[in-house]
Amino acid sequence: VSSQQFSALTEVLFRFLTEPKEVERFLTQLSDFATMNKISLGPLKNIVKSILLVPNGALKRNLSSEQVRADFIALGLSDEKASYFAEQWKVNSPTLTRLAVGQTLMINQLIDMEWKFGVTAGSSELEKVGSIFLQLKLVIKKGSQMENVYIELTLPQFYSFLHEMERVKTSLESFS
Amino acid sequence: QLVSALHNLTRHVVYRGLTRAEDILSLFPENFHQNLKNLLTKIILENISAWRNEAQASQISLPRLVDMDWRVDIKTSSDSISRMAVPTCLLQLKIQEDVALCGNSPVVSALTMELSKETLDTMLEGLGRIRDQLSAVANK
Repeated sequence: VSSQQFSALTEVLFRFLTEPKEVERFLTQLSDFATMNKISLGPLKNIVKSILLVPNGALKRNLSSEQVRADFIALGLSDEKASYFAEQWKVNSPTLTRLAVGQTLMINQLIDMEWKFGVTAGSSELEKVGSIFLQLKLVIKKGSQMENVYIELTLPQFYSFLHEMERVKTSLESFS
Repeated sequence: QLVSALHNLTRHVVYRGLTRAEDILSLFPENFHQNLKNLLTKIILENISAWRNEAQASQISLPRLVDMDWRVDIKTSSDSISRMAVPTCLLQLKIQEDVALCGNSPVVSALTMELSKETLDTMLEGLGRIRDQLSAVANK
């Protein structure tokens, strides 16, 4: 495989890694590559599969680009190609790491919050009320489904909620 | 019949929000026993604010927040990355279903959710806007 073809292939690989949902596009680009360079698709797919294993393992173990380069050379790749791949790795690893962190397990993730507040004007018990209420709608992702939770807060509750959330933010910031 | 009449009287007073003795006294018919009228008025006046508060508390409403709890965790590793230090927040809200529906045995459910730092920032932004709007309304 010439070095030009190799860099084109690496580009395709990294684009897929940074956008893992674009499976179809990746497969199309792979078959284009195969026809352009007169390589049959089957063995190309196998090679690509084994190449993909390296960045995934590197990501898991937080390898530096030096180590990635050494790994590739150990696998039998030429020096030049290994360096090229390691360079690409250095450039792309922040994105890849962020993606991996984003995929980490989250329990009942809060997706969205909507709110409205108003005044209770009257009720069947009290003719004139005039008390303020706040209504929150929280969208929570439970497993693969979304659940809407509606809650009502009184004003004092809202202020202590706000206060607590500010404390959480200070706490989170002190850890990052 | 007596109890039901008394009940209606107190409900009426609470509904109308009558707070002055004269208003309550005027509710009684002409030939009502004077001392009894005064005694009843006095008792009603004493209890009226407690009754109003209770009526407000047991209004129909969306589920209400009763308590909240939070904790901050640091995620150190997962099956996709073996070493990281990502802080995350776990928030638990205790929610009580509509009081009017539950009667004497309110159902309290606990909802636990996880917030990332970005989610928390967005939420605080939203809450801040609510606070600004509330103070704008209060200052009008």
